[in-house]
Amino acid sequence: MSPYGRIASADKRQGQAQAMIDRKMETDVLVIGGGGGGLRAAIAADAAGARVMVVSKGIVGKSGLTQTAVTGFQVALGNADPRDNPDVHFNDSMRGSYGVADPELVRIFTQEAHTAVEDIEAFGARFDRDENGQLIQRALDSSQTYPRSLRKGDSLGTPIMQALRKQAKKRNISCLHEILVTKLLVDGDRVNGAVALDFRTGELLHIAAKAVIMATGGGAEIFPVHSNTPDATGDGCILALEAGADLVDMEFVLMLGHAVLYPEPVRGVLFTYQYLLPKGARSPYNADGEPFLAKYDPEGSDNPARHIYARAIFGEVRAGRGSPHGGVFFDPASVSPQTLHETLPSQTNLLETLGVDMTKPIEVGVAAHYFCGGIKIGPHGNSSLAGLYAVGECSGGPHGAARVGGNSLTEVLVFGKRAGKHAAESVAAAPAIRPDGEAIEAECARLAECLATAGDGPQPADIIDDLKKAMGDNVGVVRNADGLRQAALDLRALETDQLQRMALTNHDRVANYQWVQAIEARTMVRLGRVVAAAALERTESRGAHFREDFEQQNDAEWQRNIIVQGRDGDFTLRRSAIVSGEILKKAG
Amino acid sequence: MKHTLRLSRFDPTVDQEPHEETYEYEAEGTLNVIQAIRRIYRTVDGTLSFRDTDCHRGVCGLCSMMIDGKRRLGCMCIAEDGMTVAPPPNRKVIKDLLFEMD
Repeated sequence: MSPYGRIASADKRQGQAQAMIDRKMETDVLVIGGGGGGLRAAIAADAAGARVMVVSKGIVGKSGLTQTAVTGFQVALGNADPRDNPDVHFNDSMRGSYGVADPELVRIFTQEAHTAVEDIEAFGARFDRDENGQLIQRALDSSQTYPRSLRKGDSLGTPIMQALRKQAKKRNISCLHEILVTKLLVDGDRVNGAVALDFRTGELLHIAAKAVIMATGGGAEIFPVHSNTPDATGDGCILALEAGADLVDMEFVLMLGHAVLYPEPVRGVLFTYQYLLPKGARSPYNADGEPFLAKYDPEGSDNPARHIYARAIFGEVRAGRGSPHGGVFFDPASVSPQTLHETLPSQTNLLETLGVDMTKPIEVGVAAHYFCGGIKIGPHGNSSLAGLYAVGECSGGPHGAARVGGNSLTEVLVFGKRAGKHAAESVAAAPAIRPDGEAIEAECARLAECLATAGDGPQPADIIDDLKKAMGDNVGVVRNADGLRQAALDLRALETDQLQRMALTNHDRVANYQWVQAIEARTMVRLGRVVAAAALERTESRGAHFREDFEQQNDAEWQRNIIVQGRDGDFTLRRSAIVSGEILKKAG
Repeated sequence: MKHTLRLSRFDPTVDQEPHEETYEYEAEGTLNVIQAIRRIYRTVDGTLSFRDTDCHRGVCGLCSMMIDGKRRLGCMCIAEDGMTVAPPPNRKVIKDLLFEMD
């Protein structure tokens, strides 16, 4: 069978190896990912005078997770409490990272946060203000010293994405939709483009670029329940790793305890009930009707930092005190309907529209929410590989072991701008692009082979299901050495056996979702292996990473990062130097 | 439990115009229309084309389709037996339930 299926491109040379590039494109700065980080970077690169192209495997500006951000955007303006300032925000963020965020990066995003707000308001976003015209700042949880989160109802992501889309349109930035990048191309030690699949046409693309900004988001789709969209498959991290860039903090996957578990249409939807607790809501409770949060928080808080919720719920479920669908209960009727609709309007509306009775207790539980780690970045969003940048959830360093709620939008906008500007400025000094024909041909052959593969082997979605099970069973909220070793074996088997035998039932090139999933399955399994390996390596508990066989945080040995490097088609781990603890002192 | 959904199918390389096919799928409890489409792709017909990069929570608007003849968001609509799902009339269809967006 021809791996090309039905579509035959006119300029294809006869008799050539079946797999080849259908379309070539060129740009200065290629942005991969069309969410908040990608668009902010594209706008900055365009403003700095570079030719920019944004590609997304979804719809640029309408896919990605930024638009789903609800309640948190941390900026130390000091409106709610004049004692707040970027230094306090810095200290809160370092403490919230359990001491292992990159202090230089945290310094940058806390100091430049106010400019990020000015920029995004200049692009057309407008956040809630008080009667004096001052931006309203509110408290999220106990990890912030002073109230500092901006507000726009309870859906901050929507105005931010609208503003970015508007600005990108105004600048006439080239946006390509439903393009899945499958490989980064390198020339020596520098990135110079990518190979991609156009989902709509089935064409293979070579996009030559002098700089590449990765903004592909996280990889929560490797877990059985998550708050992300299904396209959060960790593409950027694995593309970067395989191109030679370092990853960092990959063991720190933030799990929340705020996902609705039932009924199915709302499974994984976040209901941030922690914001109702200060308004008198009944604390979540187990099957015995008992509250339980405080006993899991090292500081005994009954509204602890958000990742403690997941561990607490996991503990209750494992002890046999869980709800029918593996969570606990929260009673939205313990506050008035008015408070409920005022505090969480869009979340409440969503749940009610999808048939959830908000006058009765609902089941809430654990969901993977955020990859704290990712492509290791420097102050300009620059990776360890020349020409490659990363911004947002696919980057690593700004958040360490646990991202503080509301710091994501801040970091995305600050580093998006920095990465775009720096990438654009780097273009002038970048060498002429010399495409690696051999690598391009090999990648085309791999993609064509992937499409042609038939037989009675597992389908991509079967492999993804097996992966999710392994991750949920052994690499989730609570980890131990035996489970992580088992996961490593299971995932290795997926890679060496299942993925090798993977079979598609659809061999058309046009709009073939199986083909996309086949490519994603390989990426996701590799991502799962990276997370499991880093989690096994870190023999302590810290932030989002909890080892029941090493329950204590061990600063003497582990106040440092685990760095993942590609090697010989696989990967290896190394440890960074100890991170200074000085900065963790609580500011006056 | 068995459920049914009637989906618009269209392959531009073969078909002159879209046609409707009825699919039977298994689901315990309710699914929204997007989840039901995904279930059919996964368990009944892997050649079904659709978009799976939308937000699944009523924000992005990418899953706005004709459901029982009315323009609705698939993710905000509970699937009911016999429901029809088709691309919106003002969008060029790429294949099946995948239509152009920008």
